[in-house]
Amino acid sequence: MKLLYKELALAAHPTSIVFAFFGCLVLVPAYPYTVIFMFGCLAPYFTFFYSRETNDAWYTALLPITKREGVKGKWLLTVTIQLFQLLFSIPFAFIRNATGMESNPVGIDPTIAWYGFGLVIYAIFDLVFFSSYYKNGYKAGRAFIVAAIPMLVLIITAEGLSHLPPLAWLDSCAPQNLLRQVPILLAGALCYLFLLLCTYRISTKRFEKVDL
Amino acid sequence: MTTLLQVEQLCKHYPGFVLHDVSFSVEPGRIMGLIGKNGAGKSTILKSILNMVRRDAGAVTMLGLDYFQNEKECKQKIGVVFGGVDFYPLKKLSTITSVTRRFYSNWDQQRYEKYLRQFSLDESKPFKSLSNGMKVKYLLALALSHHAQLYLLDEPTSGLDPVSRDEILQIFTHIVKDGNRSVLFSTHITSDLDRCANDITYIQNGRVLKSADKETFLNSFDHLKTLGDNAPLTLEQIMLRTERRALDETAL
Repeated sequence: MKLLYKELALAAHPTSIVFAFFGCLVLVPAYPYTVIFMFGCLAPYFTFFYSRETNDAWYTALLPITKREGVKGKWLLTVTIQLFQLLFSIPFAFIRNATGMESNPVGIDPTIAWYGFGLVIYAIFDLVFFSSYYKNGYKAGRAFIVAAIPMLVLIITAEGLSHLPPLAWLDSCAPQNLLRQVPILLAGALCYLFLLLCTYRISTKRFEKVDL
Repeated sequence: MTTLLQVEQLCKHYPGFVLHDVSFSVEPGRIMGLIGKNGAGKSTILKSILNMVRRDAGAVTMLGLDYFQNEKECKQKIGVVFGGVDFYPLKKLSTITSVTRRFYSNWDQQRYEKYLRQFSLDESKPFKSLSNGMKVKYLLALALSHHAQLYLLDEPTSGLDPVSRDEILQIFTHIVKDGNRSVLFSTHITSDLDRCANDITYIQNGRVLKSADKETFLNSFDHLKTLGDNAPLTLEQIMLRTERRALDETAL
């Protein structure tokens, strides 16, 4: 917990924390909701960029922790922001349905499948972003560009799938369709868990070779 | 009492620079100055000791433990200051302290507050508003507050005015007074060593040229004396003549 506290108190860019609350955007009547995931990907980028400018790596290196734990702090912060964003959006998705808001005319609704897609997008982005950043420990911009490519492809795919007539049930909040979407959420959760562990292992291994 | 720091045959290869078989030790109650011109490898030595850069070979024993096998335990008992590196310039000192103290099992809040008063530090100020001298004092206050036994400082007095430098050197003398703690600091300012160092390690082009107590060190450079030199050479003369000679040899 002290690693996460350190990240939140010193290293996290304030905007990254604001992005964690962007789950509430599912209440906006006409908005491409998958863009919300982009904010969850921008959050670590802003923080890594900010950390570099504030010499966070130097401060962290002097604390009684290992390089591996330094990476763990950033990893925990990213997971916390992304999961908080998804969890924070849940009550707003319920309010949306309870108030009978019209189906989103510009993209997929915040269905169970949407959450599954979100987890997959975060998993892939984090894997590429962290692995690329910890090759050298300072090229945050390059890491973001490299990771943004699969992120955008996945966002477009998630939005596009629900427009295919046979897959229209992905964009439906009808109870029987929501039930059909549960496996997508489970697959997303498994993907997130597995790739997060890979992200951590690759990043720590790479960062241990980096000279500060 | 155990040697607080023992560095043995530390090597690090960079393209264009090699740290070659660096060995020296720091005994309790001593202040050791790591001296050398800019680019000699002083900071690389400190960073290699602390595992901030990966060494290619060599061993570091700190407080009787293999540092690389016991990094966390060793770091609990050391204080490190890198002069000229600003952490979180917009954060208040109180915020930085509130995070730092959570990582130290031996944190002493009363002692920290005592040093804040002694060094006239205002916790409500952001880090960037401190002068360079005050920044070093703040980082020393953090190190002193977790009862560090070994203090490693990289160029702590560079860029400071004579008064601030004098204050920092007085703090070093105060730290080692009890005979249990030691200070290792790198500098290229020879007068700092004249003032407070007990031992000197001279680094030239990534190699240890000489590591000894100050008296032995000064006497071991008698070969650099010229006909007009009756008194022992000063540190500045030793450094200037050694580096000048190296330059001449390179030119030839």
